[in-house]
Amino acid sequence: MTDQTPVQNSMKSGTWKKSSCKMCIHSCNTVVHVTDDGVINKIEGDPDSPANMGRLCPKGNAAIMRHYDPTRFKTPLKRTNPEKGPGIDPMWEPISWEEAMETTIRELKTSIDEDPRKLLPSIADFQKLYLWAWPLVVGNSNYFSTAGSFCGGGYHPMNGFIHSTFAAANDVNYCNYWINNGSGDGFSSHLHTAAQAFHVANARVERNMRVVCVEPRLSIGGAKAEEWVPIKPASDRHFALGLCHVLIEEGLCDYETLKHDTNAPYLVGEDGYFIRDSDGKAYVWDGKDNKAKTYDDKSIGEFAIEGTYEVEGKACKPSFQRFKDILAECTPEQMSEITTVPAETIRRIAREFSTAAEIGNNITIDGRDLPLRPAGYNYYRGAHAHKYSSQSNHAFKLVNMLVGSIDVPGGHVGATLDDQKVDNGHVAEGDSGQLLGTPHQLGPHPGFSYPPDNMDLMSYFPLGVHPGHLNVEVWNNPEKFSLDFKPDVMLICHSNPIWSLPGKREDWFKIMREMRFIVAIDIVPNDTNAFADIILPGHDSLESWNMTMIEPPHTEGMCLRQPMTDPLYDTRSEEDIFNDISEGLGLLEVWNTILNIVNGFEESPNLKLELDQKHSDKEMARRKGLNWNGKDLDWYIEHGHAVTPRRTDKWYKPWQGLRLNFYIEDIVRERDGLRKAMDTAEVPIRDEWHWDDYQPLPTPVLEPVLRDNDEYDLYAITFKDIQLNFGESLSNPWIKDIVYRDPVHTALQLNTKTAAAKGLEHGDLVLVESKYGKIYGRLGLTEGIHPETIGVSNSLSRMMSQNAGVPYGGGHFNDMLPADLENTDACSAQCESVCRVKLTKLDHIPDELKGEGSLYSYSDGRAAQ
Amino acid sequence: MTSYGMVFDVKRCIGCNACTVACKQENSLPDGVFFTRTLSAEVGEFPNVSRTYLPTICNHCEDAPCEKVCPSGATYSRDDGIVMVDGALCIGCGSCAVACPYDMRTKIEETQLTNGLFGEGNLTPFEEQGYTRFECGTFTKCDFCSERVDAGKDPACVATCPTDARVFGDLDNPDSKVSRLIRDRVGRQPLPEKNTRPKVFYID
Repeated sequence: MTDQTPVQNSMKSGTWKKSSCKMCIHSCNTVVHVTDDGVINKIEGDPDSPANMGRLCPKGNAAIMRHYDPTRFKTPLKRTNPEKGPGIDPMWEPISWEEAMETTIRELKTSIDEDPRKLLPSIADFQKLYLWAWPLVVGNSNYFSTAGSFCGGGYHPMNGFIHSTFAAANDVNYCNYWINNGSGDGFSSHLHTAAQAFHVANARVERNMRVVCVEPRLSIGGAKAEEWVPIKPASDRHFALGLCHVLIEEGLCDYETLKHDTNAPYLVGEDGYFIRDSDGKAYVWDGKDNKAKTYDDKSIGEFAIEGTYEVEGKACKPSFQRFKDILAECTPEQMSEITTVPAETIRRIAREFSTAAEIGNNITIDGRDLPLRPAGYNYYRGAHAHKYSSQSNHAFKLVNMLVGSIDVPGGHVGATLDDQKVDNGHVAEGDSGQLLGTPHQLGPHPGFSYPPDNMDLMSYFPLGVHPGHLNVEVWNNPEKFSLDFKPDVMLICHSNPIWSLPGKREDWFKIMREMRFIVAIDIVPNDTNAFADIILPGHDSLESWNMTMIEPPHTEGMCLRQPMTDPLYDTRSEEDIFNDISEGLGLLEVWNTILNIVNGFEESPNLKLELDQKHSDKEMARRKGLNWNGKDLDWYIEHGHAVTPRRTDKWYKPWQGLRLNFYIEDIVRERDGLRKAMDTAEVPIRDEWHWDDYQPLPTPVLEPVLRDNDEYDLYAITFKDIQLNFGESLSNPWIKDIVYRDPVHTALQLNTKTAAAKGLEHGDLVLVESKYGKIYGRLGLTEGIHPETIGVSNSLSRMMSQNAGVPYGGGHFNDMLPADLENTDACSAQCESVCRVKLTKLDHIPDELKGEGSLYSYSDGRAAQ
Repeated sequence: MTSYGMVFDVKRCIGCNACTVACKQENSLPDGVFFTRTLSAEVGEFPNVSRTYLPTICNHCEDAPCEKVCPSGATYSRDDGIVMVDGALCIGCGSCAVACPYDMRTKIEETQLTNGLFGEGNLTPFEEQGYTRFECGTFTKCDFCSERVDAGKDPACVATCPTDARVFGDLDNPDSKVSRLIRDRVGRQPLPEKNTRPKVFYID
């Protein structure tokens, strides 16, 4: 080089500052380089972080392009075009913050004064979870987003029941046999992907950890696995039950753990409740003395887990026996018919899993003698997001529990969301020596109400996560659901429900159009804020403060976000905005009280927010950091984070001395409680309620989508990979530059032989129709997909929107999904994520896809040509 | 003597292209320009099928065909084996692009620098501080992040790789990680029949 001035960005003159990423909901630790001229020109993983150890995923590497996105909202905006819809220019007019806030507060107040339930909030910044609680300021518990339906309706409550945590992961430190069922964990998505991918790769290469991927599509994980097990969509629970059948039939379980560390021996009566003595203690059967004793009787010689007994005049069985009875109908042959996985494969994997679990083996860690069970069954949305999600989640957990691998080294371990203080524990003793189930990981249930106080019917889901998808069914049928209010004002904060909700887009557009007023706090234009009347522009993640711990697997600790530059534009922090709105409504003290509760400041008097003051994002970050480890902000600014490996006393068997919920009696109890409340209130729809969805043990009931008619002969699934997540991902030029060159993300994935049987060819344009909706796309033929499946990348589900940087595809996958009670788990509120479809070959591109912004207009060799 | 090279651990690579984006970030690459990228290909038939992810980069060949054909001396090799391009000397003849059997030479078009990543000439401050390194019409490529290497750091793609699928080091040092990986896991060079003596090795 003739010029000695560095040309590589990280080598230019400037400063490095520590921070944390926000290109997904998690928070990998970063170092950010700012040039002497104040330009952010390089972001890298923080090499000092024990979580991601210097690594970043492609999204994290692309954050600069979000920061400098020219379409960012630069000032508060007011809509001047009354017409609202996809691709319709709102004709924004810049206004002052004073005018924007005055209008916002006035319009919110008008509705809230009339009835607080008239507000539909959609607040979804996962790194500032305390913002989610803001609607409580006005006593509102509506929810207009997708946390339950597209994250973990069944997943989070079940983690709460089994681990008393929000999430769960296989233990990378010791696992040698890793089943991934419908999950990208460790490879392409979920839980701090870059961090987990590093540790999983090490385990695979250095420890020869075997990976078995069970999924309809050959994902990244499937491609790296020793074995890909293609499975028919929505039949994952049956695969798991088949494994359970073999483990029990062939005596491959960890019986010591089942007898002493779970409620598998507890005697269950025909009504589904434990048989108890007059003090409420659950009975077990002592096989040695041949009599019933309370679970804690020191004289018990042998905990019976099988058999039929009579105690206190009631017929009963150990809960293990009840599961065994269910499994009689779950032979590998029977499950094979449903899953299409060969029976011999189910048997072999069950045997391999049990062998790998090294049942009986122990390990000493930090002075504790712990079971070593280096086999874990990990799963996520692809496997559990079905109508019977609660049962599915439970089935996957029981595969682990049968071999004793819950919360032990090498097994399947619960990961807390945010411990708030370094020494906070997350387990408590429940009834009769059991681990207390904590299904409400995101906050308390709003309680039963009739008429319902929530347009998503959350009041009828005592064990669920908010079913935002039901808003549309209730909106369309207010009389059926006895809704005695009609929302007319919407508050959106970093949320894109119109992109992420299932159901017909047109139905959602209708709700948006009927809102009297919509305010959106956001950074870049998207599908949802295109309907707003006022835009309140937020700082991006390189201009703002935050402190967060977000469900890290195998590490813990607060992560700092700090501004790298002054805000580029006339933007504000979410804290400033919500403080001002609260103050404008005369409710600042209420907001501070709520913030004190949800951030755990209540227990630390010196950290409690002063009720009459407004606290900035920086001050919130400072107090959260202090709450974690007593370190002030200057310490975090220097260190960037307080991340350490999960301490073993909290990671492994934190519930030692308690018993795991093999059988979940609380599900029976909550079902009966809800039924009683509905009967008392004479809720008209109570007879339609799917009471059978409440099961204390999983059953092989078929998902409705598996029972649909044969006119729709394929199953459609959607998927994402590590390169993209949100609707806005594809406005980022670097993400576009890799995603649209990947054949997996540019065409509908169909099995080669299936296509041949239908007379279809690679590149054919097809119409994909479910009984609920349709999409268009080009076919990409592949060997890597189950023959009865069509795979639709997240990248293709893009609609025409105000963000011209996002090329629109052939419709939205979610249009093809039902958003109704019929396909919602009455227990967990999870909705179905798979649909039956049929294909029709088209001979021309539909007019609606011919526009300049269409994915089909790309001409530089990328995308769906 | 130091001889820098890279090992791609194909078993570790998850095809995420974090490397690709990190490279774009580090080197201010315009839209459609890549110094490295990861390809993928399906192998086998259902259900016995897998997908292989294959990272690619300039191989910094010891007998670099691009260097041999360069008429202006713009392409040259450093003593540590890194094959460099001096944009000021490049005349844009494209001989290197023809000669490279790995298709690792890219021409910087003027429109790429003027349109910008977001199009319509909307150059971001990031691009404004970065594009000054490029001469329009010249041919460019990966230089193993030579400035980072000179400062004792790994190339950007290596540093960010979530799975450690990229390892950088001194091939002449038998104890370096790259040498050990090549030895222990039988590293293979791309297109050995071209006799270019690539300094990039693949292990399975």
